[in-house]
Amino acid sequence: MSDEAPSAEELQAHPAVQTAFAAAWADSFVDDKVLRHEEGGYIYFNPKTGEVAIRRARSGTRKALNLHVPPMILDSFLVATYHTHPNPVAEGWDPDPSEEDRIFAKESGVPWFVISEYGISYAGPVRRVGGLTGSCGYPQ
Amino acid sequence: MPQVLVPQTQSVSSFHALEIAEADGIQAYRDLSGLRIEISKEDDRWLVKYFVDSKGRYIAGGGPHYVIDAKTGEIVSKVYYQ
Repeated sequence: MSDEAPSAEELQAHPAVQTAFAAAWADSFVDDKVLRHEEGGYIYFNPKTGEVAIRRARSGTRKALNLHVPPMILDSFLVATYHTHPNPVAEGWDPDPSEEDRIFAKESGVPWFVISEYGISYAGPVRRVGGLTGSCGYPQ
Repeated sequence: MPQVLVPQTQSVSSFHALEIAEADGIQAYRDLSGLRIEISKEDDRWLVKYFVDSKGRYIAGGGPHYVIDAKTGEIVSKVYYQ
């Protein structure tokens, strides 16, 4: 059992995470100008079993998604969040993590993945700050 | 009929700059609620920036940022953050 959380790169390569990213993107209705909205959620790691688990947040709006209250999972630690940027670059939208995304990712102590038409990127630390100890939710 | 003369040097007020930004932003975002506004003037340009008003919560997102010509009211550049 390791006290070090999986890195963003390791998480991104995990099948459960890839499935979650694809599902969030599909549910964001990126091709629908009216229904287009942000989706996302939380990524957990169980250091006893090595399992990765996903929990979705409530659907967001065209410009925002509340990631403030991650649900708790027994014996697991929150190791990242993820959300979509569904609005298209062709209409002037920036696909990258916003200034707010970067600030909150750094403050929260876990990587924040962003899924856009350009692929996957993340803001914040490379892995959960402080390792797999302390609070099961955001580490700071 | 009296003629209203507008001085050629008259510049766009901060209020008008905000109106210009809002008119554009509402088209892209449909709804600008939940955003806070920062407006400042640099040289002859208004910088109008909308940010997520998170109130201390972790909320992913963003708002539009504008550079508006303070003499003509033209939007010089804009980025829609999300």
